[in-house]
Amino acid sequence: MQTLLNISNLCKNYRRSTGFFTSRQIIAFGPVNFTLERGKTLALMGKSGSGKSALIEAIAGITKPTFGEIYFKGRPLSTLSKKDRHKSIRMIFNDPIHSLNAKATIGTTLLLPLKLNTNLLAIEQKRQIKDVMKLVNLSSDYLNYYPNILSIYQLHQVAIARAMILNPEIIIADEVLATLDISLRFKIINLLLTIQEKRNISYIFISHNIKLARHLSDNIIVLNNGLIIKNTPV
Amino acid sequence: MSINDEFDKKQIRTPLHYIFQIFKKKVAAIIAVWIICTFLFIIIFADFIVSHSPSEQNMNALLLPPYWLKGGNTAYLLGTDELGRDNFSRLIMGIQRTLAGALIITAVVSFFGLILGALASSLKNFKASILHHLLDSLLTIPILLTALIFIVIFGSSFQNCLYAIAISLLPQFIRSIFLSIETEMAKPYIVALKIDSMSDLQLVKNVIYPNILEPLVTIINRVFTMAIIEITTLGFLGFGVQTKGTELGAIIANNFEFMYLSPILVLAPGITLFIIIFSFNVVAEGIRHAIIEAEQ
Repeated sequence: MQTLLNISNLCKNYRRSTGFFTSRQIIAFGPVNFTLERGKTLALMGKSGSGKSALIEAIAGITKPTFGEIYFKGRPLSTLSKKDRHKSIRMIFNDPIHSLNAKATIGTTLLLPLKLNTNLLAIEQKRQIKDVMKLVNLSSDYLNYYPNILSIYQLHQVAIARAMILNPEIIIADEVLATLDISLRFKIINLLLTIQEKRNISYIFISHNIKLARHLSDNIIVLNNGLIIKNTPV
Repeated sequence: MSINDEFDKKQIRTPLHYIFQIFKKKVAAIIAVWIICTFLFIIIFADFIVSHSPSEQNMNALLLPPYWLKGGNTAYLLGTDELGRDNFSRLIMGIQRTLAGALIITAVVSFFGLILGALASSLKNFKASILHHLLDSLLTIPILLTALIFIVIFGSSFQNCLYAIAISLLPQFIRSIFLSIETEMAKPYIVALKIDSMSDLQLVKNVIYPNILEPLVTIINRVFTMAIIEITTLGFLGFGVQTKGTELGAIIANNFEFMYLSPILVLAPGITLFIIIFSFNVVAEGIRHAIIEAEQ
């Protein structure tokens, strides 16, 4: 079993100014340690404001941690180039409607990461896009559509396709299931699990639903006030 | 670009196409578009439209009324001024100068403003706050004052007048663009695109500008309106075009004292100005509403 992600002593502080010259430090999450293995799933739980989102933003590369290091396959992430990092760790946002550019077709949205991060030829890019659409069970007719005419379930499929387009090794899912009703939620869960089986990727889930987290994940981490208070295998 | 070649692309409407279709149904905006087209036609073919040279004087026909009134002459459609110059020709040349000047200013300010706004938006923390305060302090100086200072330093001519107005309008434009970009930057889809390793400048150019069309239309329309008002104001005050020159504000100033003898001398350029500004605003409002409706 290969360790994909090893997080050691990761911290994030925000500095909030309280006056002209004074500022106060707010700790988003304290020193955090955990590991993630290939093909496994990790569930992050905790009440709102416990630092879950800040933690996954730091892992995904949206924000920089103040202290500590994330090791990806034994190498520190800060030594990796931006492209390599974004290629191997992708993120699914919790709101597919607002995380898609409304002025771009689905095809353009899927093409962009390929153009920016890989040196593939146009034919290979097309093939990869069609492959990923097949993977998420979406007809490739949708590539020419704009996001506004797609249903919420289809938008979720597109969001997953967008995360999968670069063949990542880790996918971070930020409360993807929160906005869906129960039947669609199970469809998405099954889709994510089949993708995991086919491509052998690791997930980091954020969830508020403990039953769901137990079903999905191999390991549950509970955060409170930015610190891990529980790290249990299921 | 098409990724799926087998699919019939005609069925899909691009957002711009959609906006245009909604815009086409707005009667007032379409009428205003035709009025603007007429003015553009006048700008391009002004030299062929005028029947007399705008500075040609006829001592036998001083202060003639327009042709439909008693004593009018069809050779002078809108009558003549106190030196016997054809009012209609002067009006046409005035429209050409004022409107073309305003359009040039709008184009130049928009071009540089969009570039500088994009560059400004990529600044972070301390530099961004310095820029904010700098632009804020520039905004405290009235536009007309900035323009007047510039003209006093570099001398009064129509060209300097255009430079002065463009320079005085630029900070306001950059500030507005900067704010629109900043609010758009915080949206989740931008964060998602950043994870696709898109750089800030690429984001602003390819993603944010198409997404902030609605504020952009408002800002550009405001620049145009301000430009036309400033040009005519400077003309009226005699700083831009000299009073003997043809420019709508200068024509009004020149004819001001003869308003009681021949009201058409002041009414014609005044009403023309009103129509120009009004029609541009109607069109901008139409586009804005079309964009809002298309987004819903």
